[in-house]
Amino acid sequence: MTETELLEQIRNMLVETLMIPTPATEIGFDTPLFGPGGLGLDSVDALQLVVALDKNYGIKITDPAAAKDALQSITSMAKTVLDSRLK
Amino acid sequence: MNPNNNRRVALVTGANGGIGIAVARRLLSTNINSLVWLGVHSRRENADQLADTFVGRVVVISLDVTDRPSWDRVVAEIVAEAGRLDVLVNNAGTHEDSLLATMPAGSWDRVLATNLNSVFHGCQSVMRTMIGQRFGRIVNVSSLSALLAPPGQTNYAASKAGVIGFTQSLAKEVARMNITVNAVCPGYVETDAIANLPTDHRKSLLDRIPMRRLGRPEDVASAIDFLASDDAGYITGATLKVDGGIL
Repeated sequence: MTETELLEQIRNMLVETLMIPTPATEIGFDTPLFGPGGLGLDSVDALQLVVALDKNYGIKITDPAAAKDALQSITSMAKTVLDSRLK
Repeated sequence: MNPNNNRRVALVTGANGGIGIAVARRLLSTNINSLVWLGVHSRRENADQLADTFVGRVVVISLDVTDRPSWDRVVAEIVAEAGRLDVLVNNAGTHEDSLLATMPAGSWDRVLATNLNSVFHGCQSVMRTMIGQRFGRIVNVSSLSALLAPPGQTNYAASKAGVIGFTQSLAKEVARMNITVNAVCPGYVETDAIANLPTDHRKSLLDRIPMRRLGRPEDVASAIDFLASDDAGYITGATLKVDGGIL
């Protein structure tokens, strides 16, 4: 799987998991997931993404600080997945 | 809808007592595909008897609801065995009634640990599983004492009122994941404790119940079964009284 394919896969997971009404292709890979100017997700969405990363990629994030780093954007989520595979 | 072809996997705590057994029996009877784990602590003879009746569909498991590692072990075992966990009924409870002026601190601690801390541990231990499957039904057994707050039950009433607040807050957190969290408040239910009351005391109890009879464990069980069903999918954060009309 190429990096672009991974990014698209994570974007689809995000849209499907959170039932986001925006078409997946309209969400940029670097769009902030939280805060103004981004997707405007909240802490409950973050929890769902943590569980989705575990379910789909076997990544267990238990530290809130690590979750914050991983969930900044689709790109940061992909980086987390790639880093986990290198370990 | 439960995405698992109508197969329901449930865990009921306090499952050796009258209400726990009735809940388990009801869950098993209304859905022939359901599997029920019975969490028991000090006694298990009634649970074992139910397992003998519903062979292959009931597992009796040791669970100390006040102990987080015990919860984690039980939930992991259920998920390993059944692949999911759809229903959690937090039924385990205790009471140590006395006036506050003379209540030992230990009574406060034990009642809060068993009735309220247990609900926190139970719900948190099943949460990732239910979020992952995007389906869950949690029913917390509170009590009419949470709403009536009778004297001599500061510990019990506080713990059961805490269960209601907890239920309402968690319901809002997880609603979008198709997980419902509700509470039931049984009134005076025909259990061993009430059966052993003196006749005059029992009569005064009955006089306070508009339906003129004590509740049966099955009355509570049918309410819990409903809240655990697909039919109750749009009900969350509710507190359902099962009290014969007292309040």
